[in-house]
Amino acid sequence: MPADPNANAGYMIAAYVVTAVILVGYAVMLWRKRRSQESGIRGQGSGV
Amino acid sequence: MMTDALRARCLTRRGLTISALGLLGLAAVYLLALRYTPVERFQGLPQKIFYVHVPAAWSALLAFSLVGIASILYLWLRDPRLDRFAESSAAVGLVFSLVMLTTGPLWGKPVWGTWWTWDARLTFTLILFFLFLGYRALRGALQDPGERARFSAVVGILGLVLVPFVHLTVYLFRTLHPQPIVLKPSAPSLPEEMLRTLLLSLGVFTVLLVGFVTTRYGLATQASLQGGEDAG
Repeated sequence: MPADPNANAGYMIAAYVVTAVILVGYAVMLWRKRRSQESGIRGQGSGV
Repeated sequence: MMTDALRARCLTRRGLTISALGLLGLAAVYLLALRYTPVERFQGLPQKIFYVHVPAAWSALLAFSLVGIASILYLWLRDPRLDRFAESSAAVGLVFSLVMLTTGPLWGKPVWGTWWTWDARLTFTLILFFLFLGYRALRGALQDPGERARFSAVVGILGLVLVPFVHLTVYLFRTLHPQPIVLKPSAPSLPEEMLRTLLLSLGVFTVLLVGFVTTRYGLATQASLQGGEDAG
């Protein structure tokens, strides 16, 4: 066991944060893409 | 009867629901990894990076394998749905690769003492990442849909050839990278709590892969029905 069990905790936290940012960010990007595509369809439907 | 546009919209919505469930699962994995699994004796807390790095690698390699399989089927059947599926899997594979390639060095620095080393596993993983960046660039550069699908299918198949090679590099070369601990001929060599967390994380990342690819495919189908091209 390392002398301090919390040593290098920053690396673990950084990895977990980066993973969440990338995956949540991608999901949000897909969700926004869907919204913009659907508003485009509604625009076409209403003749805008 | 359901129109193609409506079907594509339903698929996109279903994909987003699956992705949201996957993200909830990711929160559960974080809780489990931080609260339930023990701290490894020699590596300390950075060992817990393993619960996101390994599943990200699994999902990336699975996505790139799907690109290759869909590409082979496209060249055989010439069905544009297969091309859209391959394109969607490639985009999602790059997202998981990004997770793998950022969390790997974050583990390497405290454990190996370096962010990066030109070790066989790391180098071939990077080559695979660049191959699929090239795949995306190629798709963006070609205007003719038939030509774009054909040429990118060839690159997708090259990627598929590279996938098992990346997995086997730790056996074929002398490498610093740890050997597989789950996907190996003998039984997994991990304490029960660690194995349970890893298996849950593998499941969650697979759900996220399914959710993202389904959404991305639904969006690509909607875009092609509207006469557009890229779905992001």
